[in-house]
Amino acid sequence: MSYLIRGKIALFIKVIVVTLFASVLLLLAQSAFAQKEYVIATFLLIAVLLLGLTYLTKISVPLKFFIPGILLLTAFVVGPILYTVAMSGFNYKTGNIISKEEAIVQIKVRGIEPAPSGLTFDIKLGTVEGKPAILASDINTPEYFISTLEERIPLVASSLTLNEYGVAVEAPNFTPLTDSEFSTADKLFTGTRFTFDDQYFIALEGFEAGVVSQQILEFVPEADHFKNLVTGAIYTDNGRGNYALADDKSAILEPGWRAPIWFENYSNIVTDSRVRGPLIRVFIWTVVFALLTVLTTFALGLLLALALNKPIRGRRIYRSILVLPYAMPSVMSILIWGGMFNTEFGAINTLLGTDIAWFSDPNFARTAVILVNLWLGFPYFYLISSGSLQAIPSELMEAAAIDGANPRQIFRKITLPLLLQILSPLLIASFAYNFNNFNLIYLLTGGGPRNELDGEIAGATDILISYTYKIAFGTGTQDLGLASAISLIIFLLVASISLYSLRKSKVLETFA
Amino acid sequence: MNKWLRQDLWRHVVGISICLFALFPLYLVIISSFSSSGSLQLSSFIPREISFANYSKLFNDPTIPYLTWVKNSLLIAGSVAVLSVMIGTASAFAFSRLKFKGRKFGIQLLLLVQMFPAILAISAVYVIMERVYNFAPGIGLGTQPGLLLVYLGGAMGVNIWLLKGFVDSIPAELDEAAKIDGASEVQTFWLIFVPLASPVLAVVALLSFIGTFNEFILARLFLVDMESRTVAVGLQQFIGGQYSQNWGPFAAGSILASIPIVIIFLSLQKYIVSGLTAGSVKG
Repeated sequence: MSYLIRGKIALFIKVIVVTLFASVLLLLAQSAFAQKEYVIATFLLIAVLLLGLTYLTKISVPLKFFIPGILLLTAFVVGPILYTVAMSGFNYKTGNIISKEEAIVQIKVRGIEPAPSGLTFDIKLGTVEGKPAILASDINTPEYFISTLEERIPLVASSLTLNEYGVAVEAPNFTPLTDSEFSTADKLFTGTRFTFDDQYFIALEGFEAGVVSQQILEFVPEADHFKNLVTGAIYTDNGRGNYALADDKSAILEPGWRAPIWFENYSNIVTDSRVRGPLIRVFIWTVVFALLTVLTTFALGLLLALALNKPIRGRRIYRSILVLPYAMPSVMSILIWGGMFNTEFGAINTLLGTDIAWFSDPNFARTAVILVNLWLGFPYFYLISSGSLQAIPSELMEAAAIDGANPRQIFRKITLPLLLQILSPLLIASFAYNFNNFNLIYLLTGGGPRNELDGEIAGATDILISYTYKIAFGTGTQDLGLASAISLIIFLLVASISLYSLRKSKVLETFA
Repeated sequence: MNKWLRQDLWRHVVGISICLFALFPLYLVIISSFSSSGSLQLSSFIPREISFANYSKLFNDPTIPYLTWVKNSLLIAGSVAVLSVMIGTASAFAFSRLKFKGRKFGIQLLLLVQMFPAILAISAVYVIMERVYNFAPGIGLGTQPGLLLVYLGGAMGVNIWLLKGFVDSIPAELDEAAKIDGASEVQTFWLIFVPLASPVLAVVALLSFIGTFNEFILARLFLVDMESRTVAVGLQQFIGGQYSQNWGPFAAGSILASIPIVIIFLSLQKYIVSGLTAGSVKG
């Protein structure tokens, strides 16, 4: 009986919780639709549907366990990965960020030139009958008028309030913008064309001046090209996200749009020496860095594990101290090391009695990176090596000792090979981890030093992942397409290393 | 004595010298936090003065909302820990105990997805959350709930090895018995499995807490407001500006923020080591 009641209460709670989540998601989906975010809205609707199906019917038991995880994974991991894959097929960089429709609008807005007359007016922004308007004054003539999108209304000076320079500030029917309206004026006024005469219009230059201008670039939708009305030149879609002259490929109209270029980002990595050169240098250092890190941390960790493999006095104290670098939040440790390597007042130079500019010289910077990573990483290998040492049967060593082997021989012929066999998956995993050790590089050296004169963005300590980050989010040209392509290559490299190591450690089989 | 020298001396020499290497930066930070000079320098090994100026600056300077940062970090890392363990445990339980089509394919897909370097998908995450902000400002870019959601994206996979190990360590006979008594899979999970596994789940939650506490890049990208930052982001920005100026408060702040993490870590050492050998790697 009590089971029955509990079952009913549980069902009741379940229905309420599911309804609650579903309604929140539905609300979100609705506002996403309102904002024209159709992909997100569709995802949210599917999520609602799945939630209902999974928890209110008996369609699948495992899904009851997986659904929350799967939905979050899809939204924030799989979705972004697919987006990255898609981006890698596009010409998607600074200057080619927006869609083609937006680019056409912007080219039209920018495709104007001052009229030959060179007329300019002092203007005030405001509204007439609620619509954007400007109050224009030419203090030399003097001439005054209000201009809206539709018409130009001439004014006589006597009806106006002029300031000390003779610029009209108030006029009948004209409502100047208040201070609070000014903050949003940009959206309404920039790019707007106010009436001047049949041929020309007034374009704003800032919020105080208006220039009599004419359109020189005209879009021809049927032919999908831009025509220069003055010279007659035709700019056609070059298939790579820009309108360009047919005979001069470098004469393109700004801005461009993100256009599919399929595998060009990938082929550029191989064929374009400006991309390939730094990438190969960075790749070599990445491998060297990851290898050296694994070697140094493993060597130091193993040495410690061997030294403390016997119950000597103070072993517990040693152990507690030795794991401290591993226990510290690594972000802070890395920043602290960064301060210690400072040239003028860093502790390292004080201790060594030198004045080395650690982060200005490529080799010193690389040494520093390896040293810091040694400090961060050796406790890990100490912990796992000492664990593995205890797992090696002592009979093996004893038998070897009886056969007359000295301790060094025992270590080289028995302990080390066995240990390497046990630890090789973890050594490989550590290699893969350090291959992508972004935090260390980013926080310690920022990838530097780099040669700023040749405009190269790859620094001496940049590893692939930090270099890619710079390509995508750096200060110069941000090339998301190329960065995505390199990302996928890194993914393939790391995934194959990791899969190899997983196969070797037979972890996958435990799931079979 | 002679034998002791021969056999154990080298062990102590190795132990002491590496301990010095391990302690040096930590010692330096501690003495810097008590010095008023404001830089991370080594004027002498024994501090000449003990000043609490840096600590009091952390708590009293209105331009440094240190306590708010700590609160943010605790809140975010705490929520991630609890929620990600719930999601992760449910997945690990299903992968380990339930028989269904595509189980092996599912786990392999999950592993593969996890191997994609998260930093590289950041631009896509950024664009997605920017759009979410347009229609739901509460959970989009720049908000803590948004960051929490992004962190939870990986919840299903991150601790799967550790959790899988724990799930396997609980005898399957118990849930078979429950099944015979008429319990459904979901009931078995909540009424039998979770209570039995709660101590280990607490350990996994604490590990997840440490991991999130340590996360830097996403937090840096997401949390722009001074008031909404986490400790790691806040302290980093602090020395990013005027390089030599703010080391004192930075040192003090780092020490205070690290102490709980170090304590958690040391008390969980045993479990962490077994988790390490199960495949998760740091450093």
